[in-house]
Amino acid sequence: MKFRALTGAFLSAASLGAAVPAFADTELKVYISSQHQPQVWRKMLDQYEAKNPGIKVTIETGGNTSEAQAQYLNTVMSAKDTSLDVLILDVIRPAQFAAAGWTSPFTGKDMSGYLPAYAEANTVDGKIVALPAFADSMFLYYRKDLLEKYGIQPPKTWDELKAAVKKINGGENNPDLQGLSFQGKAIEGAVCTFLLPYWSQGKTLVQNGKLTFDRAAAAKSLALWKSFVDEGVSKKNISEVATDDTRKEFQAGNVVFAVNWSYAWAQAQGKDSAVAGKVGVARLPALTGGDASTCLGGWEWGVSAYSKHQDDAKKLVEFLSSKDVSKFVAINGSLMPTYADLYKDEDVLKSAPWFADALQVVQTAKPRPVTPRYNEVSEIVRTTVNAVLAGVMTPDDGAAQIESRLRRILR
Amino acid sequence: MTTSTLSTTDRIEKQPPAWTKMLDLSDRALAVLLLAPAALLLSLIIVYPVLRLGYTSFFSLSLTSGLPAEFVGLDNYRLMIDDPVFWETTWNTVLITLITVPGALVVGMALALLANLPFRVQWPVRLSLLIPWALPLSFAGLIFAWFFHSEYGVVNDVLMRLGLPGVIWFNSPNWAMAAICLTIIWKTSSFMALIILAGLQTIPRSLYEAADVDGAGRVRQFVEITLPLLKPSIVVALIFRTITALQTFDIPYMMTGGGPGTSTSTLAMYIHQNTISFLDLGYGSALAVVMFLLSMCVTVVYLRIIRTKG
Amino acid sequence: MTATVTQPGALSGKPLRAIAAIILLVNGMFPALWILFTSLKTEAELTLKPISWFPHAPTLANYMQAFSDQPLHLFLFNSLMVALLSTCLTLFISVLAAYAIARLNLKYRGLILSAIIAVSTFPLVTLLVPLFEIMRALNLLNTWIALILPYTVLSLPVCTLMLVSFFEGIPRDLENAAMIDGCTRLGALFKVVVPLCAPGVFTAGILAFVNAWDEFLLALSFNSNPALRTLPVGIQLYQGEFAFPWPVISAALVVGIVPVAVLIVIFQERVVSGLTAGGIKG
Repeated sequence: MKFRALTGAFLSAASLGAAVPAFADTELKVYISSQHQPQVWRKMLDQYEAKNPGIKVTIETGGNTSEAQAQYLNTVMSAKDTSLDVLILDVIRPAQFAAAGWTSPFTGKDMSGYLPAYAEANTVDGKIVALPAFADSMFLYYRKDLLEKYGIQPPKTWDELKAAVKKINGGENNPDLQGLSFQGKAIEGAVCTFLLPYWSQGKTLVQNGKLTFDRAAAAKSLALWKSFVDEGVSKKNISEVATDDTRKEFQAGNVVFAVNWSYAWAQAQGKDSAVAGKVGVARLPALTGGDASTCLGGWEWGVSAYSKHQDDAKKLVEFLSSKDVSKFVAINGSLMPTYADLYKDEDVLKSAPWFADALQVVQTAKPRPVTPRYNEVSEIVRTTVNAVLAGVMTPDDGAAQIESRLRRILR
Repeated sequence: MTTSTLSTTDRIEKQPPAWTKMLDLSDRALAVLLLAPAALLLSLIIVYPVLRLGYTSFFSLSLTSGLPAEFVGLDNYRLMIDDPVFWETTWNTVLITLITVPGALVVGMALALLANLPFRVQWPVRLSLLIPWALPLSFAGLIFAWFFHSEYGVVNDVLMRLGLPGVIWFNSPNWAMAAICLTIIWKTSSFMALIILAGLQTIPRSLYEAADVDGAGRVRQFVEITLPLLKPSIVVALIFRTITALQTFDIPYMMTGGGPGTSTSTLAMYIHQNTISFLDLGYGSALAVVMFLLSMCVTVVYLRIIRTKG
Repeated sequence: MTATVTQPGALSGKPLRAIAAIILLVNGMFPALWILFTSLKTEAELTLKPISWFPHAPTLANYMQAFSDQPLHLFLFNSLMVALLSTCLTLFISVLAAYAIARLNLKYRGLILSAIIAVSTFPLVTLLVPLFEIMRALNLLNTWIALILPYTVLSLPVCTLMLVSFFEGIPRDLENAAMIDGCTRLGALFKVVVPLCAPGVFTAGILAFVNAWDEFLLALSFNSNPALRTLPVGIQLYQGEFAFPWPVISAALVVGIVPVAVLIVIFQERVVSGLTAGGIKG
């Protein structure tokens, strides 16, 4: 056991750096992924420490993608590790964490202040699993300048988008200009890629833990994305494109339309961007004759069931999901608020004016399937989307494969 | 060294009483004592886990479900037979083995023959065979993923300089598999080369001289002298390579993540995914049992060869 | 190894040797060199088309970033410690076992040797689930021990087999002399046999070290805590949903390649003789 003591000592020394807390302090460890601006949250934690003497909060970062995080938390939680107290969770995880008993529920918490979608996403079987950290959803980014040049309105349907791209491509005659960039790589984002046109047909994937898969709708969804590739609207290797590739391509001015999360906005308007001031954001298109739909994102704060400081950790989470903090991270980190009225708040709108229009999008965003076996559902959907886009299988075969594989895990 | 030898022999004169007898008595106890650490470690890391593996494969045990383990008999195996991804990943594993084992042998043989030329300075040659061997597989995977990058990769750059079209390597199952196999062959052929080179250097010169006298050409010398004499070391190397090929994980994991779709995913990757990402330990165990049996077959062949050699 | 026995009649003209040398060097060194070049380029230079081969304006910025973006020093430290500790453990256990096999007239010698060979071909991957469960039950996930134990098993068979052959080459008289001198048998093992076999033990140690340094799957599965990750796993952390910074990843790779490369450069002859002494995993 000497090694363990050694590693433990080494670790705590390494993570604390020079700041060794006084003995009486309760030390809380918060897990945040490095993609979620730990430096912004740190400021709020400093404030919390100042207001609550005797509490020290340290941040642990790691796992840059949602999948890498899931792997990390899977090992840590199944090891019943007591070192983490507060965890940031992707909006798709609460059901799994609740079923596995990895988070402690918040009893008697009033969720009515939050956006309804988040109140719902964090409530599993009547228990409140976690509290919202920040909101997110997918948007359609477009080049305002190009659309204006050709007198095109932001498309309401995917067909309109195709037509717009063809018109712009015809006029621009620039082989490097791609019509639409979206996520075709087998990452979590590809699940949303699949679901957007699927939902647009009024279908659901899972309801009350039961599979409600519609094969025809799925095939239509996959066929739509494949048609973008086949018709030259999207580039041939779209199956290699991950979320940040989309952001980079758009930011470099090589894309007319892009499907992306809210983080891309601040960067597209940043000083490294070739398209600053030329960016428009709109609701994602619908299938012709269908409803517009978008994917609900965002992250939640949960308290580890194995934390030794349950009450202190819960208090901290209440603070982190409070309106003040939500406002602070909206202003300083461009993270979307989880409270409806903050979208009309003057200070928030001063730093992120486009939030004014974003509220209705977030309010209508749909959550991805709620099931304890979400990791498996996600893997099935995203690898199939990837395979169809790479031309490994036809949309019909892809839909059949999703169905047969989903049936194996959700009956 | 000589001084210590001398000093110990000098003192033999002192003759302690009947030491031989005492040692004979304790031989067995000593053997137990000396082998105990190895036995202990092997039972913790191999024997117990193997038993546990077989046992778990008959249970439904998913850590994410929060349910206790439930005995389900052969259900996991039944699920496996109907699981297209199981068959696909198994086939990919077998395919990788069938391509990369002979591939590494041929390339390794060529490298060894080149390295066996009479270079005045030996160390750069030796080093160029050792570096690929010592490079972690996962690093090799990352490095070659960058080589095969469709836009900024050096492979496509060379292809285009030669007037050939570039390839989007990871966008098609066949090209992606080709890139993976090339990487594995590069990584493993240098080890083959080292083994073969050692064999080449033990072949007595006189055999070739005699063949020259007989008027045998170089190809015939290679087929009739070199190959038969190298056979023992090649066989051992091939068996180890086959077993490690069946476990292929690092390189496809780093290069393609199994994509596009699941077309380059291996059985080891599928086991890892079910175990670590899905925490479905029951199903993961059943998959592992299959892989275990696959590699046991190869091991049995190996043991038999060794036994016939004596 | 240095003595070259040529096949008479084999082409051995100067031009042929030159071509052969170029092929061997390019095959062995180019990938590592290319990563070195990449690590010295800026992101802007990297996305030039056609691609640039030699860095136009070499920069060390990627190395700074590699260390500041992720705790690369921790990855190095973890890799080093896990590899070193498992090497020591491997050597200790295999010296004992090899001595028993080489010197004591074991009843089941053949069986034990077969078992060792069987273990040397064992696919550790298949034990992912049970090992995960064992480490979980013993509370060892996210510790060095979770890796040290399996890594020791990884190299144990090969090291034992190597040491058996080394020990068999040591005359028994020397040991006996030490024992007459009042040493116990174990004392004689460590005071006489092991020092005499030092080169062999050392070679076995290098192999064990490289094996542990390379391992990826178990490290990925058992130690997911960023502060406990080893290099091969840690290097993955640079890539994220939000970026795939090739120059920085390359810099981290170079940092990871250097320690083993140094080891190999210094001890190349020893490694080669060790590798070829018996069937060893490649």
